[in-house]
Amino acid sequence: MIEVQQLTKVYPKGRGIHGLSFQVEAGTAFGFLGPNGAGKTTTIRLLMGFMKPDQGSALIHGQDCWRDRESVKRRVGYLPGELHFMENLTGLEFLELIAGMHGERWGIKQKRKRLIQVLDLECRKTIRKMSKGMKQKLGLISALMLDAEVLIMDEPTSGLDPLMQKVFMELILEEKKKGTTIFMSSHQFQEIERTCERVGIIREGQLLSIQSIHELQQMEYRTFEIEVKSTEDAETIEESELEWTKVDVGFYRIRVAKDMGQLFQVLAKVQVKRFAQCSLELEDAFMQYYR
Amino acid sequence: MAYEWLLTWVYPIVSKNPAVTEIAESIPSAVKTVFGVSDQAPVDTFEAFISAQFFARIWTLLLALYGVNTATSLLAGSIEDGTLAIPLATPISRSALLATQAGVLTSANGVLMGATLLGLFSGTARFKIKIEHWRYCRMSLLGFAFFSVISMYSFLFSAWFPEKERALAYAAGLTLAFYGLDIIGGLSEKLSWVRKLSLFQCFQPQEVLEDRIDPGRQILGLTGGAIILWLLAQRILEEKDLVL
Repeated sequence: MIEVQQLTKVYPKGRGIHGLSFQVEAGTAFGFLGPNGAGKTTTIRLLMGFMKPDQGSALIHGQDCWRDRESVKRRVGYLPGELHFMENLTGLEFLELIAGMHGERWGIKQKRKRLIQVLDLECRKTIRKMSKGMKQKLGLISALMLDAEVLIMDEPTSGLDPLMQKVFMELILEEKKKGTTIFMSSHQFQEIERTCERVGIIREGQLLSIQSIHELQQMEYRTFEIEVKSTEDAETIEESELEWTKVDVGFYRIRVAKDMGQLFQVLAKVQVKRFAQCSLELEDAFMQYYR
Repeated sequence: MAYEWLLTWVYPIVSKNPAVTEIAESIPSAVKTVFGVSDQAPVDTFEAFISAQFFARIWTLLLALYGVNTATSLLAGSIEDGTLAIPLATPISRSALLATQAGVLTSANGVLMGATLLGLFSGTARFKIKIEHWRYCRMSLLGFAFFSVISMYSFLFSAWFPEKERALAYAAGLTLAFYGLDIIGGLSEKLSWVRKLSLFQCFQPQEVLEDRIDPGRQILGLTGGAIILWLLAQRILEEKDLVL
């Protein structure tokens, strides 16, 4: 279980995170979404004990991520957002080194072998000669092979092709079945949608919302594409209080929050040539927080 | 090693030429100081020759800068470029990681001392120059302790400022300042006190090679200093925010 209470870390230039609080229940997955510079990586650095919080606390299984960091990291598999390796090692040597640093726990070798096969990694290659995608696979294997109780991953599918992204999602679902607690930041809405129960949205260091994926998908925002017949009809739309975007002459995309009555009142005054509801995706719901 | 062979090959030719000794004796003491040659020492011995040509300046400066660069790359550089992110996500403590990095550099220092002795011993044996081997071993031990101090304060700066350029600037700046003080202090009697402020004062290869000083105390002092610096670096690193 991950518990974050009023977590604050401010960098000298003023950026950082301010009073973040959330919980990730054991055996569930939490997606952390936000634009670049929002504070996702800072939160992860605090969870990994790389930095000391200015205020508040981050606990993993009841242990403080800063004070008890060595003990916390026995339970955690970690994938950084930007991967840099000791380039002169081969992939296999690197994985053996990391397994050794985790005390060569039972089962790491078998799992590593399986992951190398599933993710199709040429692990005998020197890391220097590996592509970005191969390095990402290597990082994923180093995090997943540990069979850790908690997985913390910063943009785990960055650099992976769509096929490997699918394989990754299957691996995460497998981990969840085993009861692993997962915390991951991402820009890939699809992977969050498919793997996480809850999602936290962060912007400018503030946690804007924590919702279940289901709630987020069901947020009563609807987008409609509406084409009207005449210039007068177009004027009616533009003069209304609806939230519209002009796609073309007489053609609008209209977003409606909760109350549909207002939309129908306006539509009753115009002649509609075409009316379609756009499918609501997580990305649409997510984008609300960016405006 | 090749340079040592070159010097041992040249020495018999130089030492047989009385003009060279005359020229060496006529050099002002300030100039001798710049090249790391002791003013009171004889100028025609192999020890004086190898000290002036190699140990006192070129070798010392090269190894000092090697220590500074390697230490800052191993710690500040690896933190800055993120190479330590995955190793530091394991249950290994930061102190243990620093001990590993320091172990790597200390072993490299040991290998360099060994290679220096090997080059010198094989060169002098080949060109039939008689030397007291134990004095060179003692000088290498002193060198090892001296370079360990430089490496450890470079680690300390890296822990304090975990950005390669900044740590390198401080560590190299301090080393060059010590080096400068050592030279300035030797230029005149009036300025001789300045030398005492320099770490390089603890490493006088010619005096050790000519058995004019016993380096035991310096070796112990420098080793103790290196250990204190290492412990301080550990303490700082444990508390530092690492942007990994």
